[in-house]
Amino acid sequence: MFDLTELQYDALSEIFNIGVGHAASALSDILNEEMRMSVPRISFQNRANLASKLCNGENRRICGVRQSFEGAIFNTDAMLMFPEEKSLEIVRLMVGGSLSMQELTEMEQEAMSEIGNIILNACVGVLADMLKQDIQSSLPSYHIGNSDELLSSYGDHADDIVLILHIDIALEKHEIEGHVAFILDMSTIQDLRPHLDQYITEMIG
Amino acid sequence: MLTEDRNNLFGHALKAVNAGVVLLDENQKIVFWNNWMERHSFISEEDALDKTLPEISPDLQSVRLLTAIRQALANRLPSILSQTLNKSPLPLFASQEEAGKSIRMQQAIQVLPIQTSPESHYCMIQVTDVSAAVNRESILRQQAVELRSKAHVDGLTGIANRRRFDEHGEESFRHAKRNGTTMSLILIDIDFFKLYNDTYGHQQGDYCLIEVATALSDEVRRPFDLVARYGGEEFVVVLPETDAEGAMHIACRMRAHVESLGIQHAKPNKVNTVTISLGVAMFDPSKRAISFNELINRADHALYKAKHSGRNQIVLHEESENEESSSAI
Repeated sequence: MFDLTELQYDALSEIFNIGVGHAASALSDILNEEMRMSVPRISFQNRANLASKLCNGENRRICGVRQSFEGAIFNTDAMLMFPEEKSLEIVRLMVGGSLSMQELTEMEQEAMSEIGNIILNACVGVLADMLKQDIQSSLPSYHIGNSDELLSSYGDHADDIVLILHIDIALEKHEIEGHVAFILDMSTIQDLRPHLDQYITEMIG
Repeated sequence: MLTEDRNNLFGHALKAVNAGVVLLDENQKIVFWNNWMERHSFISEEDALDKTLPEISPDLQSVRLLTAIRQALANRLPSILSQTLNKSPLPLFASQEEAGKSIRMQQAIQVLPIQTSPESHYCMIQVTDVSAAVNRESILRQQAVELRSKAHVDGLTGIANRRRFDEHGEESFRHAKRNGTTMSLILIDIDFFKLYNDTYGHQQGDYCLIEVATALSDEVRRPFDLVARYGGEEFVVVLPETDAEGAMHIACRMRAHVESLGIQHAKPNKVNTVTISLGVAMFDPSKRAISFNELINRADHALYKAKHSGRNQIVLHEESENEESSSAI
């Protein structure tokens, strides 16, 4: 479908790990408690089979925070996603709410949007640094639904490629796994390659 | 309309917006401070202009806000600061009175990059008062807590209900199993209660249930002990970390306490007041493994024995001989 060289792949992983590292330190500051975050792997998926991949065929509800990013060569819709029960866990760990309401309240949704905003901005910020280009963005919005519903809000270009970051979050004794999906068109990916190569050259010196 | 007039109009409109609007230049100096900000910060635009936020608010507690401003100016990425994760970063107050008491307004903040030309970067801070939403949610939470505790209370007697017993009993049982500690159950039934109801009426029956429930509750004092209404005139007592001897001791006190209430009841056994029968069973993890339901059955069986040996007495289920020993009083 689409290939990066191993080196390009590693470079991209590293960039995102730097990004979520920034996000983790920002969140740790807010919480006054250490939060760790890493991207153990990234992968590319076809738009079409993304939905089934994300929820292992189960029709469970997913909670997502979405931002649209726009730059000269990097245009993407990005969404941070957690299974609904995990997002409840994250927010309640962070704000210390003890009451087990079934859904995030209005204020908790705001908090979730902010967490998403911090993580997405950090990932894209590092990418913008690498590309040496400005990337503009919309404000984050909160979405909830099954994976089909969430992804259909992106429009339906079936040939789009989705870059998936697998994100591990560690807070207190909890380990939470989430995903960030960047919906990219082919030309964006082609444009990304030479910049990755340049980044690699600079890194190696 | 001339461009100049339009810009003038926009400036005035922004001034009048019923939310906080602040514009910062690329050095983070304030270049615009609208009426709403003046009203709620008690700082005039004149005093705010050309200063940075930390300069006008030395106790600005939010690293997050300053990071968001930097990110908007340097990377042109927008940020939101939710009230939940950021407790009132800006020194804003609903009224003079609250300012006097240093009670800050609950704030939701958006930090947006504004670019007027490729070289000029500004940042707009938008502040909304979310106190009403915060209050609404805290009321909602309170109600949920209340509902939840109500869901576990027996409406008539005010002690725990069957549902609470099911949860707490099961939990205590698992705890005993895990930690290898003993646990006891007491099942209690009011003697000849149907006759009592028929003789004195349902209202008096309700009164009798409340009195007995209160007497039983008075006899348990440890935080994890639980007296619950099991059904009609049946009660159950959960005693974690209690062996048979301890449970018998409590059962004796309960029996005596109910008898001493002296609630008049002309019934076909010796005593002319309301009495109870009690069945006691102990779970001992060092003996044969049983389920929680089996434990309830044993207590139930012991209670049955107590009823059939003349009532107003306690029977302990004895596991070793697989027979009950009766200690009639």
